[in-house]
Amino acid sequence: MSMATTAPTRRPRVNLAMIAPVVALVVLVLIGMALNPNFLSYANITNVLARSAFIGIIAIGMTFVITAGGLDLSVGSMAAFVAGLMILVMNLLTDSMGGGLPVILLGVALALFAGLAAGFVNGILITRAGIEAFILTLGTMGIYRSLVTWLADGGTLSLGYEMRELYRPVYYGGILGISWPIIVFAVLAILGEITMRHTAFGRHCAAIGSNERVARYSSVAVLRVRLMTYVLLGTLVGIAVVMYVPRLGSASATTGLLWELEAIAAVIIGGTLLKGGFGRVWGTVVGVLILSLIGNLLNLTDFVSPYLNGAIQGVVIILAVVLQRNTGAAR
Amino acid sequence: MTDPVLALNGVTKSFGPIEILHGVDFALHPGEVHALIGENGAGKSTTMKILAGYLDPTGGQVTWQGKPVAFKGSDQAEDLGIIMIHQEFNLADHLSVDQNVFLGRELRRGLMLDHKAMRAQTAELLGQLQCRVDPGMPVNRISVPDKQMVEIAKALSRKARVLIMDEPTAVLTERETEVLFAQIERLRGEGVAILYTSHKLGEVKRIADRVTVLRDGTMVRSDLTADVSEDDMAAAMVGRELSDLFPQKTFQAAEPILEAQGITVPGVVHDASLTLHRGEVLGIGGLVGSGRTELAEAIAGLRPRSGTVRLKGQDLPGNDVAQAMRAGLVYLTEDRKGAGLLLDKSLRENLTLGQLDRFGSPLIDRKREETALDTAISDFAIRAPDRDMAVGDLSGGNQQKLLLAKTLLSDPQVVIIDEPTRGIDIGTKQQIYALIARLATEGRSIIVISSEMPELIGLASRVVVMHAGRIAGELVQGAVTEGNIVRLAMGMDGHEKDSAA
Amino acid sequence: MRKTLIATTALMGLTAVPALSETIGISIPAATHGWAGALNFHAERTVARLSEANPDMEFVLTTTSDPGQQVSDLEDMVATRGIDALVVLPFESEPLTGPIQRIADSGVWVTVVDRGLSQEGIENLYVAGDNDSFGRTAGQYFADTLDEGAKVVVMRGIASTVDNERVAGFEAALEGSGIEVLAMDHGNWNRDTAFGLMQDWLSRFPEIDAVWAADDDMAVGALAAIDQAGRTDEMFVVGGAGMKEMVDRIRNEDPTVPVNVTYPPSMISTAIEMTVLGLTSGAPMSGEFIIASELITPENADNFYFEDSPY
Repeated sequence: MSMATTAPTRRPRVNLAMIAPVVALVVLVLIGMALNPNFLSYANITNVLARSAFIGIIAIGMTFVITAGGLDLSVGSMAAFVAGLMILVMNLLTDSMGGGLPVILLGVALALFAGLAAGFVNGILITRAGIEAFILTLGTMGIYRSLVTWLADGGTLSLGYEMRELYRPVYYGGILGISWPIIVFAVLAILGEITMRHTAFGRHCAAIGSNERVARYSSVAVLRVRLMTYVLLGTLVGIAVVMYVPRLGSASATTGLLWELEAIAAVIIGGTLLKGGFGRVWGTVVGVLILSLIGNLLNLTDFVSPYLNGAIQGVVIILAVVLQRNTGAAR
Repeated sequence: MTDPVLALNGVTKSFGPIEILHGVDFALHPGEVHALIGENGAGKSTTMKILAGYLDPTGGQVTWQGKPVAFKGSDQAEDLGIIMIHQEFNLADHLSVDQNVFLGRELRRGLMLDHKAMRAQTAELLGQLQCRVDPGMPVNRISVPDKQMVEIAKALSRKARVLIMDEPTAVLTERETEVLFAQIERLRGEGVAILYTSHKLGEVKRIADRVTVLRDGTMVRSDLTADVSEDDMAAAMVGRELSDLFPQKTFQAAEPILEAQGITVPGVVHDASLTLHRGEVLGIGGLVGSGRTELAEAIAGLRPRSGTVRLKGQDLPGNDVAQAMRAGLVYLTEDRKGAGLLLDKSLRENLTLGQLDRFGSPLIDRKREETALDTAISDFAIRAPDRDMAVGDLSGGNQQKLLLAKTLLSDPQVVIIDEPTRGIDIGTKQQIYALIARLATEGRSIIVISSEMPELIGLASRVVVMHAGRIAGELVQGAVTEGNIVRLAMGMDGHEKDSAA
Repeated sequence: MRKTLIATTALMGLTAVPALSETIGISIPAATHGWAGALNFHAERTVARLSEANPDMEFVLTTTSDPGQQVSDLEDMVATRGIDALVVLPFESEPLTGPIQRIADSGVWVTVVDRGLSQEGIENLYVAGDNDSFGRTAGQYFADTLDEGAKVVVMRGIASTVDNERVAGFEAALEGSGIEVLAMDHGNWNRDTAFGLMQDWLSRFPEIDAVWAADDDMAVGALAAIDQAGRTDEMFVVGGAGMKEMVDRIRNEDPTVPVNVTYPPSMISTAIEMTVLGLTSGAPMSGEFIIASELITPENADNFYFEDSPY
């Protein structure tokens, strides 16, 4: 007998929790402006945004996974593995096909496919074999990391010189003065936000994360949607790699180290609930920018000892989240 | 007669603006078993929770040994020896039986827990209850009746002076019930005051010394059990004219629309068959745990099953809820909060969740959703202070109406409604009953699963009763009576008819 | 120590094993960055070569990614493989000193590579690069080629003893040269981190004359950032450890990469070889063997270019 009907409480429509990440971002920008006049220079802004792109693209996918109540710790290793594979195959193709644009297109196709396949493997094992996402992706994290170390023979895989020069503009080039990684990141972020808010897939992700049983009873294909979140994330890892490889033209065992944690942190800073049920892509974008801005600011100043960089980052992450949780609706 | 140990004097209780207990007087005496009976929603649980300190009365007085007392929570009541055994078990699933029995009052030797002593004492208590559960077993691995026994053992270990039992035999077999009664008699002999609730009036007649009947939050009679017959009790419980509450039945014989043959869900449903006709309201009765819900979920594609389900002559695959929904068959869950609604989401998001493909692809048309919500709010008379509020903040009745709206959004031909009015006030009940009747007159077919006898009798022209996972029998028209349903539900042979009409 | 070894071999001889059978354990950090990768490459190659030459000799090679795991590995080696000699590159000095001491006390020959233990006299043989000389060689080059008042930035590795020694050597060499160090921060021996760090320094400082990256992986990142900013002509970059790519650029007299400083990963080969030699021949191989860093210049670059090395 549940007669205890509580009086409906109204929630404020615009609260600080909604915009807390934006406030944090604005504060960081103001600090940056005060500390160094070069902060707002075209070059610096471009650098920061382009650098954010890899983690940002991955974090967009991570937003969907987390919203649907999942987690993926393997993305950093996956990126390294896909990058290693891409470079290896492009070098082989250069030998047999003599280089040129087709090699790049094949390499890009391979990276996208490898990312998709890796995400599919994660997703299928989580949904069909019923392994906890945390432990499964912890496992694949180790596997992909070892695979890239093995592919690289413990060293570094480097793209051949000719290919590197040809492929280079994909990171360093752009149109209208905006570099490609920024454009790709922005387009994906907009698509991601629309998908999350205005499509059945996004709605289903939130429903599954909120209460999987309700979703199932409402005829939502829970396993398929969940699988799709991992496939989407894997594909986005592939896209991130396509943008990453032209930067330094190499991949090694340290490529993508801790990217998974940065991506997860960005998602949570952005206001997505770690336990699932609610996610927003625009928040994730803000989260990613916050994380890269901290690094940028610390490099632009002698404000704190470099030994304390990690501490500053940690404090900002915690503050951003505390601000949301304390002022937000207690759910 | 001794003085009461625990009593209510003119107690009222309101939740928000709604008063649900209207001046209840109730007394528990040492060495006496006092039965509290009434329909679901009559206020039994609220009364018990006030007695055990879980709820504060809004008006009136609780007295302990003749003196007024205001419990600061159930802990204080428990310290005095007032122990309540809940219908929904209060056990920590992953802890072992003995850890549960001594939870919060662990025996210690110095700084360390005395596992040996706790295990031994638990074994002894379970022995008294003739329950053969290993005290070291985690609770989530023991059966439901055993859990009930563990709850009772837990209460016994607390040296109760007042023991409040909320339908303890609902999940027990006859033999287990006998063991429990022996314990109740022993406790009565030791001078414990016992409050006992049950829907099984025979049990009440047998074990209770005194019986009090609640109806709609009012105490309608209180007598020595010896002075009242089972019929008197039932009459006092129901009390009102059912025709006031239930709409006219209008069913005319029509062609079958849903045929379920030999449905088996391992362990819970065995070879159950039933047929539903166009425009018919079919009731499914039976005790909680008799497999009603599982049968319905199996038919609706929510569980793996064997057997066939044919809708309008077309086979439906098992374990494919989306397919069943597309074909026009939907199931409305009894577990509103756990499986029905997303409590942290808005009305709109809940309403359209199962039917998003109808609201535009690839992008959802927000305007069409809002229009659908407008329609639902007016059609189902949903009262929400703010349409963007989280559904969890709605009252139970409005939640149930929204769940109905959500389930009916796909315009189904067959609707299975599990416990349509659980935990809902009488006004909303009436609205929901009217809705069910309207659906039937529109030519839709409805299966109503309910634990409330009046609901089955008032709504359905035909009732199938389940017992222990099987169809125990079927009752038609005039044979649909409380007595017949109970007999079948209890597994007593009687009125058996070929259920596959 | 010597005695124990001889006693062991004597016993072996008695039990009808005709040739000398020895087990050598090798524990090195996992290939998490280029230099460690090269270390692994050289270790594996040496083991393969020595196994062929000494069929009775058994090698147990383990790689670890943290000090705790290394301790476990060492314990396993002693317990389950009964090693006669140990070649170890301690992940960190402090936590490994105790465990290695116990192994040494049990009579196993111990060769410590590169990273010294925190107590002296434990190991039989110490083979190491010279971190001070690594930093000093680079610093000396800066002092020799840059004018007074020149501005440089310094990219450090992961905060550790190795890093501290290198930077100390570098700073000591700069002393009195009038060269200004604009900024010093950790690039963590990682290309991507170095790339971002260099980008930010380029935004921050309008004038940079030279970059010292205390490792070639970081130099790769720094060079890419400088290239992107179009300031290649403005400064030169000195890395360290002799990565193939860098040596190649020096060979081709690339003005941006004029020199490099060695810190040969092949020291692990030296250590293994000397240990084997010590075991098989009984020649006195104890002591310290320090490999100083050399400056790679366009003149001598060919000597430092290894075609098939992964590094």
